[in-house]
Amino acid sequence: MSATASIRPIGGSVRQTGRDQRPGIGRLIAVELRKMVNTRSGFWVPIAVAAMTLLVAIIGSTNHGGASATFVHIFNISSRPAAFLLPVMGVLLICGEWSQRTTLTTFTLVPNKGRVIAAKFGASVLVSTVALIVCLLLTFVCASLLGHAPHGTGSLPIQVILQGWLELAAGMAMGLAFGAAVLVSAPAIVAYLLLPVVWNGIIGGISALDGVARWLDSGNTLNPLTLHSLNGSEWAHVAATLAFWIGLPMLIGWFRIGRGDID
Amino acid sequence: MLSTMIEANKLTKRYGGRTAVRDVSFRCEPGTVTGFLGPNGAGKSTTLKMLCGLAVPTSGQASLLGTPFRELPNPGRRIGVLIDASAQHSGRRGAEVLATSAQLMGVDQKRVGEMLELVGLDSSAARKRVGKYSLGMRQRLGIAHALLGDPEVLIFDEPANGLDPEGMRWMRALLRDFADRGGTVLLSSHLLGEVQAIADRLVVIARGEIVAQGSPGELTGGVPRTVVRTADGGPGDRALRRVLAEQEILVREGPDGGLLTDAAPELIGRAALRGGVALAELRPASDGASLEQLFFQLTTDNQPESHTEARDLQEATR
Repeated sequence: MSATASIRPIGGSVRQTGRDQRPGIGRLIAVELRKMVNTRSGFWVPIAVAAMTLLVAIIGSTNHGGASATFVHIFNISSRPAAFLLPVMGVLLICGEWSQRTTLTTFTLVPNKGRVIAAKFGASVLVSTVALIVCLLLTFVCASLLGHAPHGTGSLPIQVILQGWLELAAGMAMGLAFGAAVLVSAPAIVAYLLLPVVWNGIIGGISALDGVARWLDSGNTLNPLTLHSLNGSEWAHVAATLAFWIGLPMLIGWFRIGRGDID
Repeated sequence: MLSTMIEANKLTKRYGGRTAVRDVSFRCEPGTVTGFLGPNGAGKSTTLKMLCGLAVPTSGQASLLGTPFRELPNPGRRIGVLIDASAQHSGRRGAEVLATSAQLMGVDQKRVGEMLELVGLDSSAARKRVGKYSLGMRQRLGIAHALLGDPEVLIFDEPANGLDPEGMRWMRALLRDFADRGGTVLLSSHLLGEVQAIADRLVVIARGEIVAQGSPGELTGGVPRTVVRTADGGPGDRALRRVLAEQEILVREGPDGGLLTDAAPELIGRAALRGGVALAELRPASDGASLEQLFFQLTTDNQPESHTEARDLQEATR
């Protein structure tokens, strides 16, 4: 930077430090988290997720009753609201910028689009972590207070907890990837929800491709994550499913966002 | 001190087969306001987006403070950009929009309040969600946002849209003041009247190409200085032309009956006295009117039907 500023500031003076300092990725992530919750809808979605989680945890602890109301089973169902809505938040995290055209501001303040998208992925990992903690807390509270399993509520293996975290984080990443590929909220959400099902219907209907379909059927392959500790072949299925359903839309999104001009 | 703050060098943008901007070159120096003028759809926004790294030029280069915009480490602290005031999240509060960007740029949060005050958004407006803002309030918020990082360059696209006359005067004073403090301002408009009063330089674009640039004085150099009308119509005109021809003063027919000349009004008056020609009207062609004439001459096609269209537009600018 060769220019020196001789201009007298408007308003109060601003410290000249940090003028030519690139904002670090930590700050970008913090800003993405702030943008996620500082809009009207952004504020209420996480609260709705927490409320639904509480509701489901209560239902799971009481109604489910009997022998199956163990920590694992309650965790399995109490993580459903977050598993369903975090990907939607992921879609909105990208598409909200395009539909509200805040991209004009975002990319004039941070011209490197890759850093912005990376910050959104970073923010989504943190949101998934918070969602997991809330989910676990509500599971433990509800299971302890309301659970009536005859042989106790059992234990919740750390591996299942980590698998639950993976499901949430990967689901939100999938939402981000679909958002990046489509760039418009509603179609992106529909694509995220329907494509894996449609894919399964089409490919699964062709007997020769039945094996492939089973590997990439997110409904089946990701389901065991919050049920039990996965074995080797189950991990392979999870890896293949995630690589495909995050990787492919993200690749498309990368080209669309990277190459495209901002309107 | 770097002398060129904004430089467009043969910027060209093609969308498919259509050329939106062709070979656009200009520079903006510190302490100046540059008016980027052209009708809607002439390529102003596309050019500004190429300057700000939002659109990639098909060919040519743009540089801000000597480097491409995308290579500025923290651009908000150097360049204040307002491309479209409507492009804000409708569910976010005004103050929160600024606070978020202040955090991103590493600017003290107390500047948020200062900038809101500067642009005249009071605390109740600051708490409102942007969706409830009028276009004028959004422009003010956008201007506050551009100034937030205490930049030395401002790039504004049609900032006057939605502002009332008082707001427009306020904005002009703000930009003039910014330039007088040593800052560099580039603002676009489709209305000459909006920028004429404060611009040190004008860059006129039409159909994607620069058709004129220079100071308002330079641009109007070829435009007549004086309008004269004789009392007796045809015979009077002929008599006046004769006297003026003797003094080698060139005149030509004006658009509505009068005569136009580059000579000063006083010279014409003395010549008319000598020739005994009665005058009905003798006045300097006002800068505004002549610049306006030039603007429409430059930016409209010379097709027969476009004359009235130009007139209509001319009316609209008043």
